[in-house]
Amino acid sequence: MRKRLSLLLVCVLAFGLLGSSVALANKTVTVWAWDPAFNLYAMEEAAKIYNRTAPDVTIEIIETPWDDIQTRLTTAVMAGQTNSLPDIMLIQDNALMKNVIDFPGTFADLTNSGIDFNLFADFKVGLTSVDGKNYAVPFDNGAAISALRVDVLEQAGFTLADFTDITWSDFIAKGKVVLEKTGKPLLSIVAESPDLVMMCLQSAGTWLFDEDGEVFLANNEALKEVIRIYVELAKSGVMVQVNDWEQYISSFTRGTVAGTMNGCWIIGSIVQPEDQKGLWGVTNIPRLETVPNATNYSNQGGSSWVVRADSPNRDLAIDFLAKTFAGSVELYETILPSSGALATYLPAGDSQAYGVPHEYFGGQAIYADITQYAALVPQVKYGVYNYEARDAVGVAIAKVLAGLDIDSALREAEETVKFLMDF
Amino acid sequence: MAKPTSLKLHTKQNIVGWAFVIPASILIFTFFFYPIGKAFLLSFQTGFGANAQYAGLVNYKRLLSDNTFKTSLVNVLTFLVLQVPVMLLLALALAYTLNDHKLKFRALFRTALFLPCATSLVSYSIVFRSLFALDGFMNALLLNLNVIQSPINWLANPWTAKLVIMLALTWRWTGYNMIFFLSALQNIDRSIFEAAIIDGANGFNRFFKITIPMLKPIILLTAIMSTNGTLQLFDETVNITNGGPTNATLSISQYIYRLSFQYSPRFPYAAAMSFVVFVLVGILSAMQMRVGDKR
Repeated sequence: MRKRLSLLLVCVLAFGLLGSSVALANKTVTVWAWDPAFNLYAMEEAAKIYNRTAPDVTIEIIETPWDDIQTRLTTAVMAGQTNSLPDIMLIQDNALMKNVIDFPGTFADLTNSGIDFNLFADFKVGLTSVDGKNYAVPFDNGAAISALRVDVLEQAGFTLADFTDITWSDFIAKGKVVLEKTGKPLLSIVAESPDLVMMCLQSAGTWLFDEDGEVFLANNEALKEVIRIYVELAKSGVMVQVNDWEQYISSFTRGTVAGTMNGCWIIGSIVQPEDQKGLWGVTNIPRLETVPNATNYSNQGGSSWVVRADSPNRDLAIDFLAKTFAGSVELYETILPSSGALATYLPAGDSQAYGVPHEYFGGQAIYADITQYAALVPQVKYGVYNYEARDAVGVAIAKVLAGLDIDSALREAEETVKFLMDF
Repeated sequence: MAKPTSLKLHTKQNIVGWAFVIPASILIFTFFFYPIGKAFLLSFQTGFGANAQYAGLVNYKRLLSDNTFKTSLVNVLTFLVLQVPVMLLLALALAYTLNDHKLKFRALFRTALFLPCATSLVSYSIVFRSLFALDGFMNALLLNLNVIQSPINWLANPWTAKLVIMLALTWRWTGYNMIFFLSALQNIDRSIFEAAIIDGANGFNRFFKITIPMLKPIILLTAIMSTNGTLQLFDETVNITNGGPTNATLSISQYIYRLSFQYSPRFPYAAAMSFVVFVLVGILSAMQMRVGDKR
């Protein structure tokens, strides 16, 4: 009797598992992404919109930090176990090209999938395509902004307009005045994090690698100019260096620093303290005056959705993305006010939601402004060895600040990157 | 006449013994020794996945010209030479003090000193990072005591950053080593000390002529464990300084991690690097055994 009962139990369990796995295989699309308030929220809203036309599909969203996504992705591909990966993953733009080239065949080629990539901002399509093929549906906007405390500027006799369409030497000169009159620096930055440097480089349409993908540091005049600016910012006190991200955020939320320059996603952190409501303003970043083709526009951060090529749900996953992130203005209208998730999907920029004044920024229609900036961001290729070069440039900057000359520091950095590329 | 079917007691015990040992052994072999073997083979390859090819000692030769590797090696050796002896001496002194049965609140002190070992590596590292931040507790304390005139940017200077890492390591691991010394001290027969006192040995002589020689195996054990731990340093440097400034606190393990997961993946090269660490630990342990173990 007991034997029969346990046999029955085993059968029930086995069928149960079988049944549920069959149902999962057909109708569930799994997604890995990070940041509940931003990316996961957007994905949940997208799932709601998709379920209206396809109620039998479940979008299973699993919160996975970016570092974990990269680690798991590398491990799975190396071990040939790509079926342990989800159907859709969010990938940082600065790591996208590396992953596409290092792991050929892992990500679905979306070029002829029916998604119209002309509807996305140019620079973003540039970042998500390799050899003319599109590998990701562009998502959030990393258009660079210069966010400043208008009240502090006024104390020093300036307005936001004085910091719009200016050059870096202009910025430093005015920053010194602000520092002298109010005691507040205009910028803070995490020491050895080359984010600001990279942002300035992209604003001039150059990068750490040239068009052939060769490392381009030692003879990169734009980079030298950026490092000179960086050193001047640091030495003059207009920019303070802090040791980690939390200190960086608290430097402007506590008001010890009167501004920040970063990708526009930083707005999510700026709007935290209630007492600074209405005191902020957003404008474009300064340009490099000695570098040809320099602009006041750049990009910092941002991520995009990729689809696993060998997923059994591949077509379903593509259809889901096509009808939501690459086809639903409504989605972007929903997620904008509550999360500040700015799109790179251009039709959404015409929406009413983008023209609404933002009370935290003194009624400025910042989303409309930033969407305009995004359209003007120069296109660059981040390349396969972006992280190697980033770290090397970070070390070079620290060495220059400690007294080494720029040329030697960059020569060392170039050698380090070359060594890491040459396998 | 013995029953032909029943096994002899000895054989029976043998089978039971093997039955206990085999499951654990199988697990250790599959999840520990097998990957080590595979990693060793991997370290002789280039490329990855289906494109991997054997290329002899290429990865090991490459290490000789890798400046970042050399920097990280010098960093961990610096930690090893400066921090480990100080920590072990401190642990020994604390254990000796706490072993004094006339001392009051011994249990409280022991618990307090061992408590750091119960904290997670990541959380204590984050606490240390904020303690030594530019506007952190340490600067506030030193400024208020008028020891310094302006705040020190601890984590931005190569040597002060190294110092912070060493302080953190000492805080976290001294109590751990102390427990080993303490248990060894408690195993030393009190009558030996009583005899020494009767013979007129003073405290100094008792410590150096009796305690230290009797603790030798444990000193050896803690020294080898600390060497091993320092060469594989990861959590502290990643979370306190992230290897900076200018790679001054980059550990070998963090470089291996960067090469495997942050940069374009170089698993074979990273595997070669981890085998160099393995060999180094082996050599240093052998040296310590040579010096310390005279049995």
